[in-house]
Amino acid sequence: MIAVAESAISIRNLSKTYPSPFRRLRAFFRRPVKEPVEALREVTFDVHSGEIFGLIGRNGAGKTTLTKIVATLVQPTTGTVNVRGNDSVFHDEQVRRQIGLATAEERSFYWRLTGEQNLMFFARLHGLSDRIAKQRIRELFAKLELEEVARRRFGEMSTGNKQRLAVARALLPHPPVLLLDEPTRSLDPLAAARMRELISSLAKQDPPVSILLTSHNLAEVETLCERVAIISRGRIRAIDTPQHLRGLTSKSEQVHVTVSGLNGTNESERISFTRQVGDNELDERLRDLQSRGARILDVETLRGSLLDVLEMYESKGETQ
Amino acid sequence: MNGIRLLPRRIFAFVARDFRLFVSYRMQFFLRIISVLAVVTTLFFISKISAGFTDPRFTQWRDPFATWLTGLAVLNYFMTGFSSLANSIRQEQMQGTLESVLLTPINLPTVIVASSAWDFLETTFFSFLYLFFGRVFFGVQFRGSFFLAVIFLLLTTVVLACLGILSASFAMVFKRGNPFGIFLGAGSALFSGVFFPTQLLKEYAGPTLGNISLLLPTTHGLQGIRQVLLEGHGLSQVTQPLLVLLGFLVVLLPFSLWVFSRAVRRAKREGSLIQY
Repeated sequence: MIAVAESAISIRNLSKTYPSPFRRLRAFFRRPVKEPVEALREVTFDVHSGEIFGLIGRNGAGKTTLTKIVATLVQPTTGTVNVRGNDSVFHDEQVRRQIGLATAEERSFYWRLTGEQNLMFFARLHGLSDRIAKQRIRELFAKLELEEVARRRFGEMSTGNKQRLAVARALLPHPPVLLLDEPTRSLDPLAAARMRELISSLAKQDPPVSILLTSHNLAEVETLCERVAIISRGRIRAIDTPQHLRGLTSKSEQVHVTVSGLNGTNESERISFTRQVGDNELDERLRDLQSRGARILDVETLRGSLLDVLEMYESKGETQ
Repeated sequence: MNGIRLLPRRIFAFVARDFRLFVSYRMQFFLRIISVLAVVTTLFFISKISAGFTDPRFTQWRDPFATWLTGLAVLNYFMTGFSSLANSIRQEQMQGTLESVLLTPINLPTVIVASSAWDFLETTFFSFLYLFFGRVFFGVQFRGSFFLAVIFLLLTTVVLACLGILSASFAMVFKRGNPFGIFLGAGSALFSGVFFPTQLLKEYAGPTLGNISLLLPTTHGLQGIRQVLLEGHGLSQVTQPLLVLLGFLVVLLPFSLWVFSRAVRRAKREGSLIQY
């Protein structure tokens, strides 16, 4: 359920084709000419204010190009991207004031500077005064558990800490829109869980942060995102809640019910059956079990996963 | 408006970053000071071989040691004006940091100018060092208006920065740095009169090759600075090189800015700006 339907990011008919560089010059010298690469075609969707929106797809599907266009680093061939009402081509500086981007790219920092010095540099570029920047950096280091490595050179940090520093940098200017590219890829399970908590809390804070999350970790996308878009070969194939998307692959689901006290015994027992999504069979079965004196200990339902949905669209794309 | 207000802070951010990176290589800094001293000392002794044999036609070469020192100091500065703009963007591209810098609300021209600021400070220090060592250890006398010399220095640097903008445009689109570097670097040392009078080129290599020196802004900049610092000329006596430099500026500044804006547009369209 989305409380506010106002768009933080609005993408309309976005297409991007990387032109073949120096095509005419190469043709003139009779050098092989590369074909233009179509990275995105007619992409349209909105990320609502305070929403965590997931973007999933295979490598080369167009996720990075899409993120870079939103971040104003690459210009679209056709179509528009608006970030809180600002066009990404004509008001690119305004757009950059509104967004923070965290990628898993380690080379985006200065390796001989400490974590603190790196963030200070970027804070100054954002126009923060030294006093405010120092305070903000302290806050972020505390929030992301980076205090111990604040004065360590970036090159000497662990991969996980480097990734957390990238998230801290993205959050420096309090951006209302956050673009996250695999934010937990290099984190240990505990740190990953804390990062997910942080992401979740950002979307709930006042004012909320709208998040476009690209990830290969489907479980993470499912846990965090209110809506998910599946991108394949540059096209958006489906946009919906993770629950509805899972329902696309199969109309039935496996149900496992763990009960005790059935047939007068105290031993727990597992009962499995298949039902059609949306029918009354689960209610009826549970009522029947309770009427027979059983205590319901656990109910587990297994429907098609996001991976199944992804596979379905990939195989559809191949046959097209 | 906001961008102009924040410009000093952003330049300071780049200078502070580069200073920190610079001091992380302390040994290199001391070795460079020693190498400047070694060059100055070597030139002093070479100048002693030809002491008293200077051709009277070459008025700026009565004291070749002083002429070489001004030549080297100023050439150093000119080359920074030319190369640092192209190198700054190329270096950020190769390091992989350009993307993160461009994600801040800062435009590309500001990135290029601000990231060259430290190079200019560093070069000012090392250029000054040539003159300082010459004066303190070898008694070189400089006369004339330092103010006028600085005007020549700035004007020539701005003209070379226009060529640097062309070079930066090239680096952005072709992902190759400093394409004019060989021409201007080696060319300036050979044709601009850093180590010998340009007139000798005409005498020995003929007018075609000799006239190449006239096409280089460095020749006119160097000539003007030497006329001021070594011969003590005033403004009225250095109008010719001054006007030539202004001519270069009038042609090169709008042209380089036009090429640069085209290059930025192309790089964004092709997505090549953040590649390396």
